[in-house]
Amino acid sequence: MNLKMTPAVIVLGGIFILAVIVFTVVYWPWATKVEQPSAIFRVRTAEEAEGRKIYIANGCTYCHTQSVRLVDWGLGAERIAQAGDYVADRPILLGSERTGPDLSQAGGERPDDWHIAHFINPRYTRPNSIMPPWKFLGMDKINTLTRYIQGLGFKMADQRMERQTFWKAESIKAYEAGPNENVEWLHSHIPEGWRNVPNPYPTTEAGLARGHKIYQDFCLGCHGPVGDGMGPAQPWIYPPPLNFTILKDRGVTGGILYYQIMNGITGTAMPYFKRDLESQKIWEVGDYVAVYFIGESDANKEPKGIDASWEP
Amino acid sequence: MSTPDQNVKPSYATAKGFCLTAAFWMVVATLYGFIGAIEFVAPDLLGNIAWLVFGRIRAVHTNLAIFGFVTPALLSTGHFIVPHLLRTHLFSERLGVLTVILWNIFTAAIVITLSMGMTQGREYAEAIWPIDIMVAIVFALMFVNMIMTIRRRQEPILYVSVWYITAAVILSLIVYAIGNVIWVPGTGALTGMPDAVILWFYGHNVLGLLLTPLAVGIAYYVIPSATRSPLYSHTLSLVGFWSLLVLYSHIGTHHLIQVPAPTWLKVVAITGSIGMIIPVMVVLINLWFTAKGKLGLIHENIGAKFVFAGSVIYLFVCIQGPLQSLPQVQRLTHFNNWVVAHAHMGVLGFSGMIGLGGIYFMLPKITGKPIFSRTLADFQYWLVLLGMAGFMVVLTMAGLVQGHGWANGETVYRMLPQLHHYNIVRAGLGMLIVTGAIIGLYNITRTIFYKPGETA
Repeated sequence: MNLKMTPAVIVLGGIFILAVIVFTVVYWPWATKVEQPSAIFRVRTAEEAEGRKIYIANGCTYCHTQSVRLVDWGLGAERIAQAGDYVADRPILLGSERTGPDLSQAGGERPDDWHIAHFINPRYTRPNSIMPPWKFLGMDKINTLTRYIQGLGFKMADQRMERQTFWKAESIKAYEAGPNENVEWLHSHIPEGWRNVPNPYPTTEAGLARGHKIYQDFCLGCHGPVGDGMGPAQPWIYPPPLNFTILKDRGVTGGILYYQIMNGITGTAMPYFKRDLESQKIWEVGDYVAVYFIGESDANKEPKGIDASWEP
Repeated sequence: MSTPDQNVKPSYATAKGFCLTAAFWMVVATLYGFIGAIEFVAPDLLGNIAWLVFGRIRAVHTNLAIFGFVTPALLSTGHFIVPHLLRTHLFSERLGVLTVILWNIFTAAIVITLSMGMTQGREYAEAIWPIDIMVAIVFALMFVNMIMTIRRRQEPILYVSVWYITAAVILSLIVYAIGNVIWVPGTGALTGMPDAVILWFYGHNVLGLLLTPLAVGIAYYVIPSATRSPLYSHTLSLVGFWSLLVLYSHIGTHHLIQVPAPTWLKVVAITGSIGMIIPVMVVLINLWFTAKGKLGLIHENIGAKFVFAGSVIYLFVCIQGPLQSLPQVQRLTHFNNWVVAHAHMGVLGFSGMIGLGGIYFMLPKITGKPIFSRTLADFQYWLVLLGMAGFMVVLTMAGLVQGHGWANGETVYRMLPQLHHYNIVRAGLGMLIVTGAIIGLYNITRTIFYKPGETA
């Protein structure tokens, strides 16, 4: 090959190639974009936009993506991201790493008080989290940031927030009416079938040990190491985390605990754990709470069907 | 045009300046990385110190690694070998020193602004607009210095290293300005999906048109010089150079395979990514055949040793890259530590190692003295190489653990405890690299400033 490499060939040739490429793969997709807002899109409120600035300034985007992918269905994704979700995002915050969970549909998944406790110290609500504590931002900024998070998912988030707000009021009313009324209210929202189901697994040492581990990883921050609802998140949460020790003789069953852990109690800071925990883990952490904190367990009581082959 | 007096020895102030710049910021950059790694293990240890919060130091670390350490390291040698190969002097050492000073000012400004939370929030393009302008000006000044040096050359033929270094300076200026959306001072961003496309055009080409051509240009100088052999093939040089410009620059969208970017753009990016095997293998074949049978000479020279190791990691990272662009592979590797391993291989393992190698190869030539301590340089070589290889293994493993866990329906939170051990090892390995950086700073500073006769 005998191309003479003069300074002009190098500089102008290089610029020419780059110009063609910029035109093709940068300018062309921009010039021909036909992005319509997606069905869930709405304009952010001024406070949400302000919260987004805090999100950017503190580099939240380096650990949290805002892009639910087709391959994320296994993580419980209910909706895959569309280009029309981002039409107002400047800059776009897709993220490149998931050290923490994706946030594009985080709005309304949890109530405000959960987020605030979580920002003060993430381990208050999620004991295994490695997110930095954000207390240094101060309450004003934490509140503003919470508004942004609660708007993620746009109209879908608004729908979830409406539900949170409605049930927040109901749960506060029940809590303030006293322990009897509160427990009754909580149990009344469990479907009838679930209420009558005892924990199908027998209480075993191994099962309690597994339940203990799950409790430490998921429950301890709010309900506390002795199940009295005095975990480190307690001061930030209202109605406060449930004190399990009051539940004795109040009609709690394995089925009730299971249902509450699986689906959470919308409005309160009790999140759903159906994405984090599979069936056996939920039964076992429920039995751990029943045995150690409530002081009565219906594990392996009738009706239980034929004993499973692994049961001791 | 006047030709410089060949009897006057140049001061090499620019090369020395960039060399000290790189050595200093390497310590800071790796220290930031190390702190970040510690925070993954103990998130409350440095809790509530605003300027040390992970979200801020992550950007400081990446920016310092690219603009504080690796680029100046490569530019240092670049400012020596371009005039050297053209048998002339750098057009203006004064202009060169000005670029060094401005470079350090904007690097410090990046650290300060990002620590304060002043960021545009776009990966690798975080710096705010005034800093962007300064970076662009510095690249423009550097280009003037380079092109004027070329015009004053006494050697009519431009060696391949000169192509790469000249192209890197001018093309990076353009890529930086476009990628930082420099015409929008407020946000430095477009809106919606086109912003992601332009961002990854930039994020990809910071490596592709800045670090890679500079590093390859330096390897093209160091390997033949150290082995005292002519370059294996001029044709391969041409193929490697032009195919790099054509292929590397248009495949940034392979970062966006899993998001709703235009499908045709993804197809183009994946196809070009596979094609990247050409410029990479052509360069490596050319370099390695030049060194064939003469590895002893490479081993003898600490600079060449660094460069050769960098070329081997170039092979790893650029075989991994095309594979990673395949959608089936990305299902497992995207959004997790696998990519972090890849980034460390590219910036630290490939271009960083070659940057250090260029410096160690050049220093005796411009100071007229041997390296202050060969032992310390060797020690640094092993610390960086082991730390780097460790990163490659540990982060790739951690990434696969995450990827497989998620694919199996485990939530991000559930997988966190599974990463704990890897994070501890990662922080330990980071300590090796920080130590290597500190040793390098000491050794390089002493080499430049020690008086002959002093011993280590």
